[in-house]
Amino acid sequence: MASLVSSPFTLPASKADQLSSLSQKHFFLHSFLPKKINNLPNSKSSLKVKCAAVGNGLFTQTTPEVRRIVPENKNNLPTVKIVYVVLEAQYQSSLSSAVQSLNQNSNFASFEVVGYLVEELRDENTYKTFCKDLEDANIFIGSLIFVEELALKVKTAVEKERDRLDAVLVFPSMPEVMRLNKLGSFSMSQLGQSKSPFFQLFKRKKQGAGFADSMLKLVRTLPKVLKYLPSDKAQDARLYILSLQFWLGGSPDNLQNFLKMISSSYVPALKGTKVDYSDPVLFLDSGIWHPLAPCMYDDVKEYLNWYGTRRDVNEKLRGPDAPVIGLVLQRSHIVTGDESHYVAVIMELEAKGAKVIPIFAGGLDFSGPVERFLIDPVTKKPMVNSVVSLTGFALVGGPARQDHPRAVEALMKLDVPYIVALPLVFQTTEEWLNSTLGLHPIQVALQVALPELDGGMEPIVFAGRDPRTGKSHALHKRVEQLCTRAIKWAELKRKSKTEKKLAITVFSFPPDKGNVGTAAYLNVFASIYSVLKDLQKDGYNVEGLPETAEALIEDVIHDKEAQFNSPNLNVAYKMSVREYQNLTPYAPALEENWGKPPGNLNSDGENLLVYGKQYGNVFIGVQPTFGYEGDPMRLLFSKSASPHHGFAAYYSFVEKIFEADAVLHFGTHGSLEFMPGKQVGMSDVCYPDSLIGNIPNVYYYAANNPSEATIAKRRSYANTISYLTPPAENAGLYKGLKQLSELISSYQSLKDSGRGQQIVSSIISTARQCNLDKDVELPEEGEEISAKERDLVVGKVYSKIMEIESRLLPCGLHVIGEPPSAMEAVATLVNIAALDRPEDGISSLPSILAETVGRNIEDVYRGSDKGILKDVELLRQITEASRGAISAFVQKTTNKNGQVVDVADKLSSILGFGINEPWIQYLSNTKFYRADREKLRVLFEFLGECLKLVVADNELGSLKQALEGKYVEPGPGGDPIRNPKVLPTGKNIHALDPQAIPTTAAMQSAKVVVDRLVERQKVDNGGKYPETVALVLWGTDNIKTYGESLAQVLWMIGVRPVADTFGRVNRVEPVSLEELGRPRIDVVVNCSGVFRDLFINQMNLLDRAVKMVAELDEPWITGCTKRLIRLSFKMRTC
Amino acid sequence: MTTHSLASLHHQYSFLKRLSNSESIHLPPSSLFLHPSPSSSSSSSSTTTTTSSTTTTFSLSPTTSSSTPTTTNPISFDNLKHHLSTQNFFQADEETRRLLIVLAGEAAQKRRYVFFSEVQFISEADLKAIDELWKQYSNNKFGYSVQKRLWQKANKDFTKFFIKVGWMKKLDTEIEQYNYRAFPNEFTWELNDETPEGHLPLTNALRGTQLLNSILSHPAFEGEEDEKEAEVKGSLRDNGPKPLTSLFPKPDYSF
Repeated sequence: MASLVSSPFTLPASKADQLSSLSQKHFFLHSFLPKKINNLPNSKSSLKVKCAAVGNGLFTQTTPEVRRIVPENKNNLPTVKIVYVVLEAQYQSSLSSAVQSLNQNSNFASFEVVGYLVEELRDENTYKTFCKDLEDANIFIGSLIFVEELALKVKTAVEKERDRLDAVLVFPSMPEVMRLNKLGSFSMSQLGQSKSPFFQLFKRKKQGAGFADSMLKLVRTLPKVLKYLPSDKAQDARLYILSLQFWLGGSPDNLQNFLKMISSSYVPALKGTKVDYSDPVLFLDSGIWHPLAPCMYDDVKEYLNWYGTRRDVNEKLRGPDAPVIGLVLQRSHIVTGDESHYVAVIMELEAKGAKVIPIFAGGLDFSGPVERFLIDPVTKKPMVNSVVSLTGFALVGGPARQDHPRAVEALMKLDVPYIVALPLVFQTTEEWLNSTLGLHPIQVALQVALPELDGGMEPIVFAGRDPRTGKSHALHKRVEQLCTRAIKWAELKRKSKTEKKLAITVFSFPPDKGNVGTAAYLNVFASIYSVLKDLQKDGYNVEGLPETAEALIEDVIHDKEAQFNSPNLNVAYKMSVREYQNLTPYAPALEENWGKPPGNLNSDGENLLVYGKQYGNVFIGVQPTFGYEGDPMRLLFSKSASPHHGFAAYYSFVEKIFEADAVLHFGTHGSLEFMPGKQVGMSDVCYPDSLIGNIPNVYYYAANNPSEATIAKRRSYANTISYLTPPAENAGLYKGLKQLSELISSYQSLKDSGRGQQIVSSIISTARQCNLDKDVELPEEGEEISAKERDLVVGKVYSKIMEIESRLLPCGLHVIGEPPSAMEAVATLVNIAALDRPEDGISSLPSILAETVGRNIEDVYRGSDKGILKDVELLRQITEASRGAISAFVQKTTNKNGQVVDVADKLSSILGFGINEPWIQYLSNTKFYRADREKLRVLFEFLGECLKLVVADNELGSLKQALEGKYVEPGPGGDPIRNPKVLPTGKNIHALDPQAIPTTAAMQSAKVVVDRLVERQKVDNGGKYPETVALVLWGTDNIKTYGESLAQVLWMIGVRPVADTFGRVNRVEPVSLEELGRPRIDVVVNCSGVFRDLFINQMNLLDRAVKMVAELDEPWITGCTKRLIRLSFKMRTC
Repeated sequence: MTTHSLASLHHQYSFLKRLSNSESIHLPPSSLFLHPSPSSSSSSSSTTTTTSSTTTTFSLSPTTSSSTPTTTNPISFDNLKHHLSTQNFFQADEETRRLLIVLAGEAAQKRRYVFFSEVQFISEADLKAIDELWKQYSNNKFGYSVQKRLWQKANKDFTKFFIKVGWMKKLDTEIEQYNYRAFPNEFTWELNDETPEGHLPLTNALRGTQLLNSILSHPAFEGEEDEKEAEVKGSLRDNGPKPLTSLFPKPDYSF
């Protein structure tokens, strides 16, 4: 019995309950649902609104009360009350200490202070306290307020008190907030309008990183000029600039002097009091900082000279052979003295034998400093072997407007692995440890999702936050993990190819069900073989690699169709239990679920078995099963499960016995990244983190699955390299469907003869056989139908089978290193050509063709949907002509072997002689011969580019870059048809800026889809609008379409998203019923877990949209008696 | 482990006030002086330095001048000895940290913390002297050498070690995990049967574990207790009666 209990295939009852119970997940997820349910304004009607909101649920809100200092004021001094709102928590400790020493030592005033982190103002109650605090405040200070919705909140609150306040100081923020500035006669209310050069500056570089940088430049030069201007106005402006200098100086001393200066100059009660203050102590805006260095450096050579003279480190560290790690730091942490966590990383790296170059910048754009300090100005080679950003922010733009292309450009020049680790910002250490979700969703959006767009890897939480002081402190194990990994990546850059060891890991896909060595859309062993052949050519040691891919399979798994439990797998290593325990410090934690090692999985009863085979310095290993039956995703949400000993032993072997320099996970997807632990922001006890240990992780991932790739990135620290999904082909028709299509075509030619009725009857019965009656309403057999209705029935069936016919099916399996041939790409191109791209001025092929015959393609689609036979037939012709034209085009650009030969050249020669355009040639033989040549030319130019990308081969190249410790260019994942930017594959896949969706284009197509859907529903419903529509929000779906389904939800309830000046969507406004032209429709949203985690802000947006609509006073749509708009969470991971 | 700066300033003020009110901490200079290392100099008064080092934020950039007053007094372990002999472990702990900074040199004093690579410049004798005092007044329960033994027993795994000496607390979560204790309230400042072995003196992990690593790996504690010996001793200690404290430190200074 005992053995049964711990066997993998029968689970003990209690465990099975925990694991399989979906209800448990629901319970857990619902705890994430907002308390807001209770806070809802008790609106008049019986509206039931239940939504997700941000920042509540599992996350305890930080409270601004820790930032409040109320003085004792024994000497009855005038009180000065200061309220501040900052993005950066690091100002808290510095300001607090400045105020405390002022209260202790100064004899002119007593200071009361309270501070808010800008994100805290989302909370209604906190906002109320904030407004209340402003009522009797003297001075308001704001800094780095870049989130529009919060900026507006701040603006509203401060504006009310602005006239009464003695001084309002706002440092780099959105223009709306900057305009609040007031210092005597100095104000910025003209910001963006005045002609003075000072304001022109803001106008020109209104937003983002550039703005902050020009601001800094201004700060450097302006006071010197202003000093010599006598007038009061200039004096006020000068004090503003001085304030900015004090603020950016950030140290308690600077802030003390700042407060002295401002309060003595502007608080009426202190007028006439003579208060001495010192000038600001200035630090470099950007440079190199080391805790031991006598000063900050703005020249890397000087810094390295100093480094070479250090007495406290040994020759090895100073010498040229030590690995060099670049660190990117936030200046404000250094000047405010909140830098313990930075020091921890520097010490850890140096103790591990790595040289560090810690650079910092005060602005929001780190790309300049990165290029200046980390790239050798002469050789243009990187001075570092890998770079770790400890800021958590995107390289360019921080929390404001990011400029990812610029960041990518700088990082491409640098060309080293780029890691972005992060300190906790919105949570204290304990809150993070306690949270099953892990990192706070706002921080996930800001500091995990955005850096990914720069190609940042490994979102490791390396610093915690103390609840009482708000200061950052190192998390010692996390720091160790981060530093070891950074050095490991650096080693990839330094080691020679011959000595580099690579562990290729294969799985069975779907996990536990498929054969060993399978992956989504991928021919795994053929791909491995092709990769290894290439690596061998490149100089890697792949000794003993067999002659063929088949022989490789034979070597490793002995049986092509081996399942994981097959006894045939090749045993690469037998690990004794003692060795396992020594190598796997977390092994005892697995015993609760799996008993004492070795257990039954990957075990011969005495030893733990590692399956695989080694060729020279390459090990091909088989990832063990995840140990539970069913969907591995459930492990992701299980709190008590764990990997089994065999699983742990596999990764211990790879890291500590084989000593891999990198592991390559081969294909979508294994189970490592789904192991239990926090969702994002792993802690010491999260299994994906413990398992991957210190090995750099490279992961071949299907390009069309960015949302699960994101899980691999965030939880197992993978550099995900995309591979192309196999070329799609039209499904075509077969058997009954084919017969049906033949019947319909004979109906078309014979319908007016006497045989019409007869053919319709066979069409109906064949359709029934094919189960089409589930999709199309068919009249009863034998029922008499009028000639007109006949057309309609046939039309509907026809349109259905055309839909089935043109569905895309993946064709075969992709092999890495073998891009599709041009002809294989035709179906993909046809689909790319089927989309209008108004943003690029490209019309779709179907719409061009429809125009030729005087029709609007939308009408044709609509008619075809309704089953109007004529339209169905026209659509078929259009589709056929599209395929023909594109095939003709592709044929012209390929050589005899079906490979594309230099599209560009071919194209220009084609385009040079208009007569020869192959698509024109083709179309001239169809009814579309009069198609608009110019539009076609634009379209085919675009298709030519796409074709080039589809057949480009970067997958091997990117892998080699990763293995050589180079930077892998990031790119979006998703559907190449909708977004050809996904191509060429071989990019480090990322999702998208979660705040960027829905895009305008997505909104446009959502409108069309919703209108079509509603119309169709109305037709089916006897002319009544549907009351409720159910919809699933998937992560991948929304990534691929840039939020189309999200936009659909919004359009159904009749609201429109509004983007702010940075292009981020964080507001909605209602659409009037007149414009909508129909009632609002309730939506039941089923939301995937990935969507929830990736698009937390958009969940919030939905929440607000629903509430907004629910509160509208719209009398005439009481057709819906009760509105139920509900978001329920369903756990899915796509 | 967590230290001064992790504590709320406000909080700590009152704590210190309470402590300093309850007993005198000013002492006549005693006869036990050690030669100061050439680079080091000590602060004028232990109390003020202690306070300042606990209330100010950590080092500004080196370009700012530090406000720590420096005089040329020789290093004295008298205050430490006094605090320990009066069982005032809180002050003794503060004093130990101050001494360490002073011993690490002028740069460390300006910075107000010790960088791990500076530990090598602290003489064996000084570290041993501090350690001996702690051991002497704690029935061998406290001190760096005690910590070193426990650390080695934990295979130099700092998390295990921190849990062992009670510097981390178990969280009430489904998964077994630990968080750092908050200074000073969550630490134990008296010596009794419940006080974990090696609990004091504290070395903070604010800046990671490399400083403590360097202290425990310092030649001063080398060969003190070999791993196997330690195990034997550990088990003896668990079972048998605690050894008596010798009243005087061993007069075994290498210079």
